Amino acid sequence: MRSVAVLALAAAYLLGCTAGAWADCKLRGGEHVVLYGSADDPSVLAWDSAERLREYNAASFDEARALALHAIDLSPGTRAQVVSCRPDFVQSQTADVVGDAVGVLILTGSYRGLTRWVLSTDIRDVDRAKKQHH
Amino acid sequence: MHGIPRFGGSDHDPYDAQDGDFVKTTSPLARVTETLLLTAFLVLVLAIAVQGAFQTRAQIADTFNRQSAIGQAQIMLEELLRLQIVEEDSLRGYVLTKDPFYVDQYHAAVLDFDDKLATIRATIAAQQVPVVQSALAQYASYQDGWRRHIASQVLQRPDALVSDLDKRSKVYSDYETRAATLVRSELADRNRALAASTQEQIDESAYVRAFFLLLFGLLAILFNAYRSRAYRELEEEKYTTQILQRAFRSEVVPLPNCRVGGAYLSASSHLAVGGDVFDVYRLSNRLALLIIADVSGKGVDAAVLTAFIKFTIRGIALRRRDPNAILAEFNTAFSQTVENPYLFVSMFVGILDTDTYVLRYASAGHDSAFVRRSTGVQQLAVTGPVLGVMEEPFGDRMLNLEPGDTLVLATDGLTEARRDSGEQLREQGAMRLIAAAAVEPQALCDELVAQVRAIGGNHLRDDLAILAIQIAPSEASHA
Repeated sequence: MRSVAVLALAAAYLLGCTAGAWADCKLRGGEHVVLYGSADDPSVLAWDSAERLREYNAASFDEARALALHAIDLSPGTRAQVVSCRPDFVQSQTADVVGDAVGVLILTGSYRGLTRWVLSTDIRDVDRAKKQHH
Repeated sequence: MHGIPRFGGSDHDPYDAQDGDFVKTTSPLARVTETLLLTAFLVLVLAIAVQGAFQTRAQIADTFNRQSAIGQAQIMLEELLRLQIVEEDSLRGYVLTKDPFYVDQYHAAVLDFDDKLATIRATIAAQQVPVVQSALAQYASYQDGWRRHIASQVLQRPDALVSDLDKRSKVYSDYETRAATLVRSELADRNRALAASTQEQIDESAYVRAFFLLLFGLLAILFNAYRSRAYRELEEEKYTTQILQRAFRSEVVPLPNCRVGGAYLSASSHLAVGGDVFDVYRLSNRLALLIIADVSGKGVDAAVLTAFIKFTIRGIALRRRDPNAILAEFNTAFSQTVENPYLFVSMFVGILDTDTYVLRYASAGHDSAFVRRSTGVQQLAVTGPVLGVMEEPFGDRMLNLEPGDTLVLATDGLTEARRDSGEQLREQGAMRLIAAAAVEPQALCDELVAQVRAIGGNHLRDDLAILAIQIAPSEASHA
């Protein structure tokens, strides 16, 4: 019970910090999403901070390997809930990828309950997909 | 009036239009030169257009080949990425099942991957795309790093956790994806650029071809216009020449109680005129003037002189009906008119009474004059020197002709007809031919011409004129 409260507080904090930025994000707070990378590489790295997520995408290979200690590898299809967003926060080294840093609460898998940062291109919007399907 | 025209001068200029006497037209040489130039220009334009077309085709083919190679590289890259996934999946399968089948599958994928990588590298190197080469090298190094640091360790210790394997592989995988994305993007850009270049070359080729087509068409129109003008000029010249030839040409007119034939051959095969001339001209109802003359030299210059001879002799003969006096007077006029001291004329002038058949003649060095009677052929004697050489008096002779007799006057083209061996026909040969020839004067002339042609192997060395006047046989005369 105590852990749930801490989780809620943390989520609220994240939401509060970034409330002003939501307007430029495609995702909305509270949305349920599925994490899935590319077809070639579907697993998703989730980071303990948005800054590390940004650094990883702009880093050299060796720097990236060192940074990877701060990431968890989520299986493709892991469900999560959007709790925060920083629009256009991540830019790759080759500048061909620009994306939002999205804070998510992991809802399934061995990392369930953790809040981590993922790249918006690794997120599939389940609710929107359902609405479009209907 | 411009005074007496002078012949044989070396400085006459047909385009000397100081008094507006001559119409200036394009000279044949200039016409040929201009035609050649225009033709050469047309050929040049055509050659450039054809060469350009081939060059463009080669360029387009080259661009197309390069585009095709890039397309192949794109396909191979996708295959490479598939093999990369097969490698990773095989390793994952081995960790999960410990089945050696996956190890074999992994090694097979590694071999395929390396083979494919070498091929795509060679293709890219041939296309000289440094960015792609560099990104591909980066991609290959990540894959190599993954094999050395992840795969080889997992194969040695297959008890590793899948999650651990995935996390360690993830960074390699991410960076391989980034490098592959760069390669993919660059190849796509390159492909688009080459496609655009091909299109550009096709467009440019179309414009260039249209330009050359237009240029060629315009030149062809110009050429045609020029040709039409040249043709018109030639037609005008031809018409003028025909009129002039009428003045120069040897002529015969029908004579009472006589049958007349004539033949003329110019050594310049394309000209209808030359340095020989004959003329049959009626001075009165009874009297006929007979002339045959041979001007030294041949061609148009000699032909102009023959016209002078013909009309001058006619003019003198109308006043003085004495062959001797005619030649003497002409000789004086000739010396005063012709500047060239190397020009001379041999001439036979006769005045035939067509009632009595009496021929009075004078021969200025003209020995090709014969009479054919029933008794045989006789050469008529020369009565004086050639004209234009000296002021010697000319004698004359009188000849009584009988019905059926034929006077045959020729130029030295007959007596000097030469076989290939160099042997000439001479007077004796000519007399033999005349004796054997047809009775009818025109047939006789045609036969002699044919004989001369045959002797020279169809090649005429000198102009040839033949005039034959037959006193009509009694029955024909009555008829």
